[in-house]
Amino acid sequence: MTVTPPLDMTAVIHPELIALDIAAQTKHEAIHEISHLLFREGYVTDPGAFAADVEARELEGPTGLGQGVAIPHGKSPAVTRTTLAIATVANPLAWESLDDELISIIILFAVRDDDAETVHIRLLQKVAVLLAHDEFIASLHTAKTAEEIANLFTRTA
Amino acid sequence: MNIVGVAACTSGIAHTYIAREKILTAAQALGWTAHIETQGTIGTENELTAEQISQSDFVLLAVDIKIGGTERFSGKKVVEIDTNTAIKSPTKVLQAIAANLNK
Repeated sequence: MTVTPPLDMTAVIHPELIALDIAAQTKHEAIHEISHLLFREGYVTDPGAFAADVEARELEGPTGLGQGVAIPHGKSPAVTRTTLAIATVANPLAWESLDDELISIIILFAVRDDDAETVHIRLLQKVAVLLAHDEFIASLHTAKTAEEIANLFTRTA
Repeated sequence: MNIVGVAACTSGIAHTYIAREKILTAAQALGWTAHIETQGTIGTENELTAEQISQSDFVLLAVDIKIGGTERFSGKKVVEIDTNTAIKSPTKVLQAIAANLNK
């Protein structure tokens, strides 16, 4: 009999990868700032290469979901551990979005280039499902601390 | 209404699954039955059964890429949109398709 281990959201939600009120003035700066955070915390080997992969994906279509949330993502050889990084911005940013509104919360999906990390991909899917619900987005906007943001994701796991 | 569909985006990481959830939630709110397959980076999940397809009133493809298995839908009314349209206004999309079916 095969036992599937429970999916533990803490495998992709890391408090050290949640940055509040970052100073980025543009989408480009925000992607680079978050890429450097991933590098400093040891999830990405080359922040420039990773940021370039994320920006390449940006060219394929909008990653702003509407309601002030964007989900840029990069599947990149520079990623060593598949994870999310989350940033709120001090000043809302122009970002291609489904409702043409400014972006104040960025949830960056950093995904390893191979498909071995199935468990992590499934966790990212669960995050995507959460983001499909207006109430979840509203609660993200009212969270005040990194811990509150992390708890929103992990409590639903 | 009883619908089936497939969601698939370019990277198969996020939009595929957001689109599926948005369609399922909108369909449920309308009192419809919906089954949505995903073709993502880790393969096909929630694969549609022949029975689900045959019982459906229409097929909704929320896709940004060429998907596999479209021959399963031959003879069915198939509507194709991109994932962002499904994410942005799922209810409007479903209602518009239903209105067209009855014409």
